[in-house]
Order: sequence, then C-alpha cells, then structure tokens
Amino acid sequence: MVAEEFNLSGKNALVAAYGRFWAKYVAAALAEAGADVAVATKSPKKLEEAVGEVKRLGRKAVAIPTDVTQSSQVSKMVEQAVAELGGIDILVNAFDLEFAKPLMEVTEDEWQRLVDINLTSVFRCCQAVGKHMLPRKKGRIINVISCLSERGVANYTAYSAAMGGVLQLTKTLALEWALEGITVNGVGTGWFAEADTTGVEGESLLLRFLPMKRYGHPREIGSLVVYLASDTTDFVTGMFMTVDGAAMAHP
Amino acid sequence: MVSGKHRLEGKVAIITGGGTGLGKVMALTLAKAGADIVVAGRRVPPIEQTAKEVRDLGRRALAIPTDVADSEQCNRLIERTLSEMGRIDILINNAGGGGRGERRPIQDMTDEVWHDVMDRNVSGTFYCCRAVAKHFLAQKSGKVINVASGFGLRGGRDNYPYCATKAGIILLTRSLALSWARDNIQINTIAPGLIDVSEWQPELRPPPDETVRRTSFMPTGRTGIPEDIAYLALFLASDASDYITGALFAAEGGTFAGGYAPVRHAPIIALEEE
Repeated sequence: MVAEEFNLSGKNALVAAYGRFWAKYVAAALAEAGADVAVATKSPKKLEEAVGEVKRLGRKAVAIPTDVTQSSQVSKMVEQAVAELGGIDILVNAFDLEFAKPLMEVTEDEWQRLVDINLTSVFRCCQAVGKHMLPRKKGRIINVISCLSERGVANYTAYSAAMGGVLQLTKTLALEWALEGITVNGVGTGWFAEADTTGVEGESLLLRFLPMKRYGHPREIGSLVVYLASDTTDFVTGMFMTVDGAAMAHP
Repeated sequence: MVSGKHRLEGKVAIITGGGTGLGKVMALTLAKAGADIVVAGRRVPPIEQTAKEVRDLGRRALAIPTDVADSEQCNRLIERTLSEMGRIDILINNAGGGGRGERRPIQDMTDEVWHDVMDRNVSGTFYCCRAVAKHFLAQKSGKVINVASGFGLRGGRDNYPYCATKAGIILLTRSLALSWARDNIQINTIAPGLIDVSEWQPELRPPPDETVRRTSFMPTGRTGIPEDIAYLALFLASDASDYITGALFAAEGGTFAGGYAPVRHAPIIALEEE
C-alpha cells in the first residue's frame, strides 16, 4: 500500500496527453496510488494502453478520445470526466510532441502547430478544468514539462520555446490561483526512453554526457506526480521539480 | 509498485539538528514512515526528547550529542550510528543557523560571527557528507538530504553570511550528486520557505504584526508549517526518488514562482491589436 500521506484513494484524476509516452505511465502511477483515472488523448492506441493500465490496477478508468487542440473537445472532455468520475481532483497535462529542425527550415505552420499542441493545449485544459475546480476551491494541476523549458538544444527552438511557455504558464497560474486552493506545479523531465539503456556505453553522444549514463524510464516520473497530486502538497505551488538524473545539475 | 517505495521500514536515518523545530518534525515524519532514527544536536534534552517520541512511535531511536561544526564529532556520529544501529541509509543535514541573529552591516561583521555561520552551515554539511561517504559507497546506496533555503538563490539584506552558506550547500550538493551519480547515492537539497515553527518552539513565535506583515507577501497567504517540508524530506528519503539527484526542491508557498510580492498583485492590461 501507499504510505498514508501519499494515498490517492477516493480522488479522481484526468490525464490529458498528446505526443510521447507519458499518458500510460502517469495514469498507471495515479491508479496505483488509488485514484480513479480518466485519460484523454487523440491516438486510439495510446488511449487504450493507458486505460488498460488503470483497469489492470483495479481502478475505475474512463477513456475520452480527445484532440486537445480543439476547444470544444476539451470542454466536452472535462464535462465527461466530471460526469463519469463524479469530479476532478487532479489534472495532469502531458503534451509532449517532439520536433527539431534548423530554424531556417521551420515553416510558420510547423511552428504554430507545435506551439498549439504543446503550449496552448495547457491553457485550454487549465481553463476548462478551472471552471470545475475554482468553485470547489480545491485542485491539483500537474504539467509535464521538458527540462528544455530552461535549457536549449540546437534545432529545438520551437519545442524549447513552447516548453518555456508551459513553465511560465505554470508559475503564473500558480500565483493567480494561490488563494483558490489550487496548486499548479511542473514535473521536469530530463532525457527519457522506454528502452533500457543501462550499461549501453557510448550509445549516443548525449548518453555519454548524462551523469547517470542512462536515460530515465518514463515510469520514473510517476512517484513525483503522485507526490504532487497528494494532500501533502498544499504549500507546494509554482514549482518545477525535476526527474532528470542530475542532468540539470550538470554545468 | 509506487506504494511500498514510500515506506522506510528497516532503514536508519540520521537527522542533525533533530531536537527542535523542522528537524524534529522531519525525524518524527520519517519514523512514522517506518525508519529508525538517530537524532543529533548540540543540546542533550531536546534530542533525548525527540528520541523518546520516536520510541513512542514504536521505532528504535538514539540521541547522539553532536556539534556539526566539529569534524571529529561528525565522524563519531557516523561511527556510533553504525556500531549501535547497524546501518545508515539516510542522512539529513539540517543543523545550522544564522538566519536572523547574525544580520548586520558588513562593515560591522566580525571574523568570529562569519566563521561561526560558515562552520555550522557549510562545513557541518561537508563534515557529515565526508564522514558518511565511505559507508554509502561501500553499501552502494544512500540518501543525503541537505537543508538549504531560498536564500541560497536570492539575496537578503544584510543576510550575506547565511545566503552564502546556503548557496554553498546547494552547490556542494550538486557537485556530490555528480561524484556519486553512478554509485546509487542520491543527494538533494530541500529549501524550506518561511516556516513558522512556533508550535514546536514557542520562544520563536513572532509578534502578531510581524506575522501579518510576512503573510501579506506570501503568494499562498500563509507561512509554512514544518510538516510542509517534512513530507518533501520523506519523499526524497524514500526509494520513490531513486532517479532524483542533484536537485533542489522547495516547499515555499509559491514564492519561487514570483518572488515575494504583495498578495493579490494582479494588474489588468487589455490586449490591443494593431
């Protein structure tokens, strides 16, 4: 069982995702800690995988096919989650579509699309869930944010800018809702891969520069998500907490 | 599973400065999660009292009088813990001070006061990390949690000895994280915000108008309580944080997000398109 302080039994979570692999692992961590979980994402395969994890762990699971770039679908997503779970205590936004290209080759359409998915979707989901959380004066919003929000990598201009935007949205909304009982925090992700890279020396230039000589596995953000979702974090807001194997401590 | 990872059964934790305030609450929080506790501190009655309260929770406890400014005493703290408790899994370097009483204009600062703050904060943390290093490296596991402050990142008027030491602790932590990254030893910094410990130390209760002044500048509209930071320590002491090292985590009531600014400061500026 989960230590009592971090237990999420009786709580309802909505995991909204797009792009990389976070939905499945975040949904599983929340379910394992006792929460019932609604998953909203566009890809039918990812939706099925994430919901499958929640069911496997014996929690109530709700699948909500959602394109988070469409405001009307985001509104319906919140309505359906509230209707089927009975409320939303926790919102996790995990919009992480990777995109990298030399700046001179990035088209305006690509830029707009990337920002729309990775950054503007956070705005849409926070606003939609705010309608539900603000009157209740209680809520947890957890944004999964790449550490490239604070650091750059060549060719990642659009991605880093969008992630930097999510980080600043997180801090600003934390201040705006600091007196509303809603905490807004960021889980900072370093370099992650689903494949095990332990001991694979020189697998890439990047790997050699990582202090732990390995990528993180996406499940490794789960415990931090649970911590931030729990009742122990009423005083923790506007924070960016990293799971990165010391990547950000490195000069 | 997520679960058991947050528990500390069978683990031994040392908390320096564990007789009072935040250190005491961290000791009791870790004990409730299953850890056996070694309480270190300069004054005997408070550490004995914390040890007694840990035993009342059904855990083993040992009080070891320690002044962390003395490296020999830090070495003995580790040796005695190993000989009497059998193992060490968690070290919380919480002892220190110098946040208030030592504030004075730099032209009035004496060598004695400066070195006293340096010794208690930076050197004390260094001495304890050094003393435990050989043991953690040999057992290929260990958790170190160093208590710094937002003042390790920001300045405070006439608070330079404290700020310098807390910044020193943050960078000591990051450097050791890199040294130990492949030895399964995680070392992190936690930064308590403005924490009101008066429930635990009534002599530190601020006057009512001071409380109003402080909270009017906290984004969450209140100062912290020791439990706010103790849960962060518990998380970082547990197996749930095995991929987290070299990090600085804070429970600061939102002040990291926007700095100390008046509560409800929210200007409205219309969007004016060209």
